[in-house]
Amino acid sequence: MTSRRLAQGGLIDRSRPIRFTFDHKSFAGLAGDTLASALLANGRMLMARSFKYHRPRGVVTAGASEPNALMEIGERGRRDANSRATMVELYDGLFAVSQNRWPSLAFDLGAVNGLAASIFVAGFYYKTFMWPKSFWEKVYEPLIRRAAGLGRASHEPDPDAYEKAYAHCDVLVIGSGPAGLMAALAAGRAGARVIFADEGSRLGGSLLAEREEIAGDSGFAFVAATLAELEALPNVTLMPRTTVFGWFDGNVFGALERVNKHVAVPPAHEPVERYWRIIAKQAVMATGAEERPLVFGGNDKPGVMQASAIRAYVNRYAVTPGARAVVFTNNSSGYRTARDVLAAGIDVAAIIDARDGGTETHAAGVPLIADAVVTRVVGRERITGVNVLKGGATTADRIEADFVAMSGGWNPVIHLSCHKGDKPVWDAERACFLPPSSTPGLIPVGAAAGALTLSQCLKDGSAAGARAAGLAGFKATSIAVPETRDDEPYSIRPLWHVRQSTAKAFVDFQNDVTLEDIPLAAREGFNSIELVKRFTTSGMGTDQGKLSNINASGILAEATGRTVPEIGTTTFRPFYTPVSFGALTGAFRATHYQPVRKTPLHEWCEEMGAVFMEAGLWLRSAWFPKPGEDWRAAATREVMAVRQSVGICDVSTLGKIDLQGSDATALLNRLYCNGFSTLQPGKARYGLMLREDGFLFDDGTVSHLASGHYFITTTTANAGRVMSHIEFCHQALWPELGVQYVSVTDQWAQIAVAGPNARRVLERVIAEDLADAAFPYLGAQAVTVAGGIPARLFRISFSGELAYELSVPADHGNHVARLLMSEGSGFGIVPYGVEALSIMRIEKGHVAGGELNGTTTPEDLGLGRMVSRNKDFIGRMMGEREALKAGNRDVLVGVKPVEPDHQLRAGAHLLTRGAVASLDNDQGYVTSVAWSPMLRQWIGLALLKRGRERHGEIVQVYDDLRNSRMLVEVTHPCFYDRENLKLHG
Amino acid sequence: MAEMASQTQRSVPLGAILTAGRYGAKGPDGPGVTLRLRHPLSIVTVMARKGRAEALAAALRDGFGLALPGPGQSTAAQDLALRWAGPEQWLAIAEGGRDGDLHQRLTAALADTASLVDQSQGRVAIVIAGPRARAVLAKGTAVDLHPSRFRPGQVAMTQMAHVGIHLAQSAPDVFELLVFRSFAESLFEFLIAMAAEYGYEVVSRE
Repeated sequence: MTSRRLAQGGLIDRSRPIRFTFDHKSFAGLAGDTLASALLANGRMLMARSFKYHRPRGVVTAGASEPNALMEIGERGRRDANSRATMVELYDGLFAVSQNRWPSLAFDLGAVNGLAASIFVAGFYYKTFMWPKSFWEKVYEPLIRRAAGLGRASHEPDPDAYEKAYAHCDVLVIGSGPAGLMAALAAGRAGARVIFADEGSRLGGSLLAEREEIAGDSGFAFVAATLAELEALPNVTLMPRTTVFGWFDGNVFGALERVNKHVAVPPAHEPVERYWRIIAKQAVMATGAEERPLVFGGNDKPGVMQASAIRAYVNRYAVTPGARAVVFTNNSSGYRTARDVLAAGIDVAAIIDARDGGTETHAAGVPLIADAVVTRVVGRERITGVNVLKGGATTADRIEADFVAMSGGWNPVIHLSCHKGDKPVWDAERACFLPPSSTPGLIPVGAAAGALTLSQCLKDGSAAGARAAGLAGFKATSIAVPETRDDEPYSIRPLWHVRQSTAKAFVDFQNDVTLEDIPLAAREGFNSIELVKRFTTSGMGTDQGKLSNINASGILAEATGRTVPEIGTTTFRPFYTPVSFGALTGAFRATHYQPVRKTPLHEWCEEMGAVFMEAGLWLRSAWFPKPGEDWRAAATREVMAVRQSVGICDVSTLGKIDLQGSDATALLNRLYCNGFSTLQPGKARYGLMLREDGFLFDDGTVSHLASGHYFITTTTANAGRVMSHIEFCHQALWPELGVQYVSVTDQWAQIAVAGPNARRVLERVIAEDLADAAFPYLGAQAVTVAGGIPARLFRISFSGELAYELSVPADHGNHVARLLMSEGSGFGIVPYGVEALSIMRIEKGHVAGGELNGTTTPEDLGLGRMVSRNKDFIGRMMGEREALKAGNRDVLVGVKPVEPDHQLRAGAHLLTRGAVASLDNDQGYVTSVAWSPMLRQWIGLALLKRGRERHGEIVQVYDDLRNSRMLVEVTHPCFYDRENLKLHG
Repeated sequence: MAEMASQTQRSVPLGAILTAGRYGAKGPDGPGVTLRLRHPLSIVTVMARKGRAEALAAALRDGFGLALPGPGQSTAAQDLALRWAGPEQWLAIAEGGRDGDLHQRLTAALADTASLVDQSQGRVAIVIAGPRARAVLAKGTAVDLHPSRFRPGQVAMTQMAHVGIHLAQSAPDVFELLVFRSFAESLFEFLIAMAAEYGYEVVSRE
């Protein structure tokens, strides 16, 4: 193919060729190229197929708004779909594949859709694939998805690292064109902390794309000199390759930094992208303006481009899209393109101006056809010319050209300023929407604020930088504005579409929305622009209508006899341009998805061969298998050892709170439904906490360590919630109480020692008298372990055995556990895990998470006697509600399969024997199950309607989800040692 | 003797993953940060009893020559530092960590004015220092750590990698993170992942 690289000029490095592949063919570009400019330089105009009609498409823009040239970049796990070739910097080994075509870009079978275009109008899918209903999921949707998709997501894990970071500044300057550069310089010189961010690979914005003269030198030179000064300022941080994508409350801006998207593989240890939250006192929005396409027949053909994009390719990348241009414009911009293209030695066939004639400097020797429109672009893969219709004429003239520059005017890039919900303001003179009238914390400036001349941008930028620094508390004045040549005045006459078009004219390129679709939507009754967007998909997709939205509003206005400001715009929302899921995830993926909490006994548990399970964020030892044992065999052996002799278990995950103060007892009395006034120092008591609504919240123990000093334990699951609850109650409800409390969950390694020989083992490591008389059931006291470790011992039991919980400072946990194992070896001591713990508590009918499930009251669980009638406490009033006192509630029972080898499962429902399975007949459900080593069969706890009256009844277990039905006998919830003889042993 | 033995057999937090050495990128200017564990360390939560904050301040001044620091601040005198940790709540920190030593010392002087709770082994102190320490921390906390905003001696209660931390700048470019012990490994893994691009050195305990 012909090389389209110009012999001179541009910001590319002709000495550094770069190899890349596109659709598996090898190409060469130059350092400084984007993928789009490199493809153009190689004469590749065809870059994509369109979404719906599979029409051939080329690049339209040279920047962030590109709707067409979307590609898959990278291989395997690094593949990024829908990458804009205009934003992809070229690097050695870049691997790009076109999308949305089959079998190839040049020959795409999907293009037959175009032949049937008359039926694929807006709303086609909504209307056509409604019947038969079952076909939608099975037939239509998969077909449509394949035919009308964008790029493919990779199904392999991304090997690169992503991260997030926070930044703070006095002044954030967004956009590095003339206004942004001056703003950053003014704020920087004033001493403000400045962050200067731009989505481009180089800072300089539009100055990199235009032929300008500033202070007697080129625009490029002005950029270089200004950046050099900014770089030297220690208070200024330059952030190229950083897209500020959203404006949020608190003047927080979201930004995506493409740290290593310009290399094939990021350097070792570096992230590929970084997601920034920038907290700015003030921001200057110098985001420039986006050139509107014109809507005319064949405006989507490869080679029809924004006039400004053509200047960028010619001036910055030294690339021309073709050999002979034609310019179609309704404003001044087209003339500038004609001049720049001519200056690069490329022929310009004509300027077609929809206005009666502008005042612009005419490009020498180029015919100007005023009061005329292009009705059709001619040519298939390559453009051969355009049909031009002059005002009043009835037949069009053909003008030969192989690329078309179009300019429909300018849309200030106002997205960020509208992210908080304020509406943009219509400016009739410039035919564009300007930022909302008031944007506290954000100063729109330059083209983004409607200044469309260079001198104005430089001047306003300087003033905005000084103003922002001033508002941030710095003494600042505008800096001197460099000289520029006389500006060309901007004038425009809106042209929302070419009525006389003789071929399909596109409003939204990415979504294949045509000129006909929008009036059709209006005729269907969708006459608000938001509804038009949903009905036609105009303005959806990766570009979110950056090129199409205002034209769509203009066309809808004409179709419905309203004005553009009456129509307004669709809602601007973050993100300004797409942000990868990787960046949103940051470092928090796979095992780092959430933090992992380890107990101080983790090392010991590992030594003992523990299998760990996740319990919330915690890793807990679930069981300790010996060779050949599965979980059930291990847990069974552990239970038997505890019930017959002794075992130890890591219970460090229990929430622990230290409570002190003159009103500590009063606080406990209000928090718990049972009373603590009679709890003497040296004693522990089981406590129940209710929610305000009277349902059970949490259970645990409260130990009275010394007068006015308590140690509270909570369940593992509710540790954080209970702490927050206490803080809320104290701070909001009873600030008058003299209490101090703090979490000590992590300070203590807590070991349960349980079994008939528990005392004998503990006596070998603790000097204090542990005899029943000295240290009875529910004792709580300070002890010394191993002759020197200050510890606390509690005689409490979850297993129903003679049991203790021993707390030692965390560093000592592993050592003390090892010591207990060696001192207990003569008793056959075993470590036991959460499984054995759970089996034993179910055998004893002790409630846990399955029963404390937010729907139960103390009475439901047989704990009604714990509810004090002599004091007020949280949950008392609401707990008196009729429904909570009703006699037909589901209450705690035990269930035992009639056939002992039948396996119960938690969640199964209960039905009266013989009853049909229905919601009306539902009698309750199974909450916890275990295979009981003591009963040698499955047992369960359940919540059963009027359960306490039904002990001995045979009921049905119904679990069709797991295809399980059986008969069970309703029993007392305590299956083992109901007299609690062992507890006191 | 037994008491001595009990102190030598203590586990060191992060023991499983903290190995001295140079890691990550190796630039010409040396590691961007160094990471170190302070252990053993004595940490006691000091909570003023109701209406007794002024008396507590006086007791600290008389007993230790220490002023009670205001929100976001810390004070230090000789071997004892006080760091603000919430309304009328502070962390007292001292080198050395024999069980209960600091708690006993403070109890003797402050029991009338404050509730004191030993947290020495419930919190892990990770020190991160060096020219890129702020850059590493900025990947985790929303606190502005610019030298003009967060000076040596300042503290903050914040969050990093979904974990609550107590952050202090103990000297210029030297930051100390106090984290609940159970989260310490997770937080350390996050820190070294974020530090890798600048190169980091893990320094063994003295």
